[in-house]
Amino acid sequence: MAQDAAGAVSARLNPDVDSLIRAAQGGDDDAFEQLVRTYDQSVLRLAVNLLRSPEDARDVYQEAFLRVYRNLHGFRFDCSFHTWLYRIVTNVCLDQLRKRRVRKEESFVMDTAEGPLDRIDVFEEEASHANPERCLWNNQIRQRVEQALGGLTPRERMVFELRHYQGLRLRNIGEVLGTTEEAAKNCLFRATQKMRAELGDLL
Amino acid sequence: MTCDSVSKLIPLYFYGELPAEEEERVEDHLHECASCARELEKQRSLAVALDGRRMETPPLLAEECRMNLMAAVRAEARRPMESARPQPSSWKLFERAMGGTFAGLGRLRQPLGALALLAVGFLAARVTGITPEARQASPSNPSDRIFATVRSVQPEPSGAVQIAFDETRRRVVSGRMDDENIQRLLLAAAREDNPAVRVESVDVLKSRADSGEVRDALLNAVAHDPNPGVRLKALEGLKPQAEDESVRKTLAHVLLTDDNPAVRMEVVDLLVARPDDSMVGILQNLVQKENNNYVRQKCEKALKDMNASVGTF
Repeated sequence: MAQDAAGAVSARLNPDVDSLIRAAQGGDDDAFEQLVRTYDQSVLRLAVNLLRSPEDARDVYQEAFLRVYRNLHGFRFDCSFHTWLYRIVTNVCLDQLRKRRVRKEESFVMDTAEGPLDRIDVFEEEASHANPERCLWNNQIRQRVEQALGGLTPRERMVFELRHYQGLRLRNIGEVLGTTEEAAKNCLFRATQKMRAELGDLL
Repeated sequence: MTCDSVSKLIPLYFYGELPAEEEERVEDHLHECASCARELEKQRSLAVALDGRRMETPPLLAEECRMNLMAAVRAEARRPMESARPQPSSWKLFERAMGGTFAGLGRLRQPLGALALLAVGFLAARVTGITPEARQASPSNPSDRIFATVRSVQPEPSGAVQIAFDETRRRVVSGRMDDENIQRLLLAAAREDNPAVRVESVDVLKSRADSGEVRDALLNAVAHDPNPGVRLKALEGLKPQAEDESVRKTLAHVLLTDDNPAVRMEVVDLLVARPDDSMVGILQNLVQKENNNYVRQKCEKALKDMNASVGTF
């Protein structure tokens, strides 16, 4: 869980990142690619887990890093690059979540030759080969959990994602989302309350 | 601590987000209160349930995304270099040309980035207001605005720092329309990126369409300017030249290719003001494909006036 938080810290302490940023600001595309490489696995992990769709995650990746490329000259080292980057990434993700709310595409059902299939089932099944424990994961619970997460507002969903799955501290989450640590705390509290209300009988 | 206040802190306690003192007080309460301890258990089960739906990133996704991104980045890096970035020598050339009262301006053969700013100031002063002689603002005038782009910063062993920058200084000049150098500036302004500058300069130039160079600029604007406002202005300027063979040729081409009906209307008017036989075929052609009613009716009327049939049979 703390994998990404640790990644963020090591990247922040890495003096190479600063020189990569400066080189990329000077128009060095190879330095920019190195910079992307430093962070893109964790960005992708966030997008995939949040959006439950590799296609949407791919769109988020492209859009977010292009914005980074276009605005990098404006980065002044007055916050950590990780925070600055995640401001962009979370904005792009939130846009996706909001669009999706409008489209009401919460079910993630794919049409396949064997009839409609839940995307999540496919990924769970793929993952279960590697990890037999996952086989115990009950289909019904899984759908209820998905429903409970779907009941959160995009912002609550984002705070929860960053804290629970990506392991960021609430203070950092507040910075990334342009709000206070207190507001992030309230958001996390509301999110857990909603989910516990939704899943009460299963817990 | 009451059960109510503790239950509000349980999620934060679970995620280790409480200050040390508060954490201790919650722990003390949890040891004594079975119902709050159950709340914490529920929080744990929720976390376990949520961990189960954690989704792995497909293994090659990052590679693929990175390749797409870098392709887009390289395409983007190429574009502004070709068009938007001013040639470093532009300003030098311009400044040399500006030395004295336009003495060297004849050397300017290309539209220059710096000219945009100059033309804006120039046109704001309105050429019709004519000052007796061409003059230029002093470079030391504090009202001049300087736009600088820093190219490099290098500390020197002496402790000083060397900064290289390109500067663009806005200058206001005014002069008569028959001044050759003013005309050159206007011709350059007619090719600027800013459509408002193009409209203004074409508007001023159109009174000089008898000069070959100005006429060419107007024809170029009519045929190629992406902004319909600029094209319409240039058409106004070409009115007195509507009999000229090369002008008619361009107009006929514009009539069949321009996507703006207002421009096509104007061209029909210009062409039929002096009807000739070569017009018939063009108008018949247009009537066939024209989807705007007004333009089509205008063509049909023009053909009737020339005693020509509307269709080509």
